[in-house]
Amino acid sequence: MRSEGQNRISVLAIDDEVQIQRLLTLALETEGYRVATAGTAADGLAAAALHRHDLFIVDLGLPDMTGETVLRRLREWTQAPIIVLTVHSGEEQKIEALDSGADDYITKPFSTGELLARMRAALRRANKTPSDEPVFRSGTLEVDLAARQVRYKGELVKLTATEYDLLRLFVQHAGKVLTHRHILREVWGVAHENNTQYLRVYMQRLREKLEVDPTGDSLFLTEPGVGYRLVQSDK
Amino acid sequence: MWLERWSGYQAISLFYLLSVVLLALFVDRGPILFGTVLTAMGWSYLFAPPRWSFEISGFYDREMVAMYFFVALIVSQLTAALRAARTKERERQEAVMRARLLNESERLGRTLLNSVSHEMRTPLTTISAAPETLRSSGPLTSIQQEVASEIQFAAARLNRLVESLLSAARIESGLLRPKLDWCDLADVVKVSLRNRAEILKGHKLENRLSAATPLVWADYVLLEQAIGNLLLNAATHTPRGSKVIVDARVSDGAVTVEIFDNGPGIGAEDVDRIFDMFYRSASARPGGTGLGLHIVRGFVEAQGGTVFAENVPKGGARFSIVLPIREGAPALEEQAA
Repeated sequence: MRSEGQNRISVLAIDDEVQIQRLLTLALETEGYRVATAGTAADGLAAAALHRHDLFIVDLGLPDMTGETVLRRLREWTQAPIIVLTVHSGEEQKIEALDSGADDYITKPFSTGELLARMRAALRRANKTPSDEPVFRSGTLEVDLAARQVRYKGELVKLTATEYDLLRLFVQHAGKVLTHRHILREVWGVAHENNTQYLRVYMQRLREKLEVDPTGDSLFLTEPGVGYRLVQSDK
Repeated sequence: MWLERWSGYQAISLFYLLSVVLLALFVDRGPILFGTVLTAMGWSYLFAPPRWSFEISGFYDREMVAMYFFVALIVSQLTAALRAARTKERERQEAVMRARLLNESERLGRTLLNSVSHEMRTPLTTISAAPETLRSSGPLTSIQQEVASEIQFAAARLNRLVESLLSAARIESGLLRPKLDWCDLADVVKVSLRNRAEILKGHKLENRLSAATPLVWADYVLLEQAIGNLLLNAATHTPRGSKVIVDARVSDGAVTVEIFDNGPGIGAEDVDRIFDMFYRSASARPGGTGLGLHIVRGFVEAQGGTVFAENVPKGGARFSIVLPIREGAPALEEQAA
């Protein structure tokens, strides 16, 4: 969602490949974003400090600095959403980036539609205030956080305490990927951050209760090797 | 004898001893012992009274012979130890150099792989995104729409090809590092099916995995790709409209994922080599890389599993991925935390 008023959302894209810079500029400006680009991490950080940006797109393969360092530097003074560009089979890289402060990632070659969707989700989360949207809706799912009620296709669904905590975490980060470790830490505590089997079992249960229609779209997307994502459908 | 003008007969034994010591620098203990005996006999016969006999009459002379043997023994022991130490040191240095070379070549291989993949993926990203950018830039003529679609399909295919080559390279270079953790097998299969929905469009799919499938200890990404390659293989080698079935069962401490098809089955001459790199059966449709099944085997074996391919009695082929069951898998009904 774009912000109201005359101001267009400003995006800074840091990637050493000119082709990618051009591609991002084209795709994003078509959607109404204002785009600035930088070819090195140093230039990118300088540009980030010079002007205010609403969102950052950072390639993890920058020549002059590791992705982790760029993220940590940015996070020293900005809470704006950061989406990183990664490659296939770079699961370790993705998790490291998410742990270093990235909000989401997208894998090259990416679909610009997918990138735009993740940007929207990240911006939505950044602009949200607690009073906004007490009721979350996505497709067949409806979650009333205030009343602690969950509905599937209008019907109330009974969830255990842990199942609800897990669902609520997803709702609070709707549209964004959450790493296994992050989920385990938030729902089960730091002591259990490596007990992936708990997560598998509970995701299976949530899916059983909320993704009843096998032919329908998935509500919870598995991000292989990284984590899970609750789909925010804009229907 | 003229020699006796330069030294007494006893001192001559020291010359013999010197020769034994020098010999010890070059030969091992056995020959030294032999040399020692020989030289002692020589001295005894030629120099020690009574001369020209092997008998040694003087008590001090006999003492000297004993000492002679002692010294020769100790010296030969010393040189043998020195030689052994030198060999060990040389072997150690060779091992260090070998390890360093191995490290270096692994590092080079990884760097090469990373830079090649980076180089290939960048233009691919631009090409893949072009159709979407075109479509969103405004209304397209029907020709433009067709071209955009063609670019999209070709880019997707090229991408799959690049990924296959990189996977095979990673397997061959030994740089594969599986990340093993608990995986929901039913989820892996579902994701695999969904990711290949386009390719499987022309076939009748049956997913027989129930939610009661146990958790497996595996690398999610590698397993998903292995299953996906088997699905792709089934789809490309069987006639349109035929069935492709995915099933999983537990037995004998292992979880087996099976993919059945109703196609012509595997030729007798292909069965043993079907998982080899670049192997393509004579009956295969043109246009594949011959890497798909090789990657399946590489990925599965990296996770400690095995793959099988065989024909089913009532027609068609069955490909199996067998993963050993790991202790500690909670049943899905169990209450956790």
